[in-house]
Amino acid sequence: MENFDHILLFKTDIRSESDKMNLQPVLDTHDCIENWNVDLDDEDYVLRVISHQLKHHQIIELINKYGYECHELK
Amino acid sequence: MRARDIDKENLVKKTAIEIIGKGGFEHFSINKLAKACGISVATLYIYYKDKEDLLSSLATELGRKMGDAMLKDFDPESSFEAGLRQQWLNRYHYMIENQSISLFFEQVRTSSYQEQFLKAFAEDLKNVFGKFMDNIVARGEINAMPLEVYWSVAFAPLYALIKFNNEGQSLGGKPFKLTDEMFWQAFDLVVKALRR
Repeated sequence: MENFDHILLFKTDIRSESDKMNLQPVLDTHDCIENWNVDLDDEDYVLRVISHQLKHHQIIELINKYGYECHELK
Repeated sequence: MRARDIDKENLVKKTAIEIIGKGGFEHFSINKLAKACGISVATLYIYYKDKEDLLSSLATELGRKMGDAMLKDFDPESSFEAGLRQQWLNRYHYMIENQSISLFFEQVRTSSYQEQFLKAFAEDLKNVFGKFMDNIVARGEINAMPLEVYWSVAFAPLYALIKFNNEGQSLGGKPFKLTDEMFWQAFDLVVKALRR
């Protein structure tokens, strides 16, 4: 069975390219984040983070710090 | 832990094809797809990175499948009539078995996904069907002509009949079902029109 625990998913209010660009520097350079993207075409603006080390709450804290909402997508 | 489930994956693809066939790409979203499939949004984001990722992988897969279906048992060395007959049969079977797909393809044709879709099969088809055309022209079975002219005469009648059949109605809303007899009647007329 494949394990997907390293794919962390969040519902956010990262609604536009410029919102995304505000977060890009911190997410791009984060040592524990292998990959990330936001689906701007979806009504939940889903943030998808690939990380083998980080837990959901750590990403939520990080995103909140930059003024965006972020909830675990279940 | 979540397992990748083949049945679920097929349901997702089938539903995506239906939603896009009906409403196009613009109003499609992973949220809507998840709801239509009765699965969680999160599950879909395990499979796919975003809407773009889902749609381009779908376009590629369907393009490949369609290419394979069109080339099935087709021999570019065959005579004009035998080769065209196989192409008619292949296209007919594919479009009857995949009715919801033709609406999806109509959407793809006018979208940014067309390139990915074509890339998946265009090269193979171009080589094989190009060779067939060269052969039948070289043997003097048909006259040389622009590909578009050949295609329009060779296949547009078939697609018109399949469209009537799949929509269940023909001109002026008249109920319609394509029979073998009509299929071969149209085929014979096409052969007659193209053959030198």
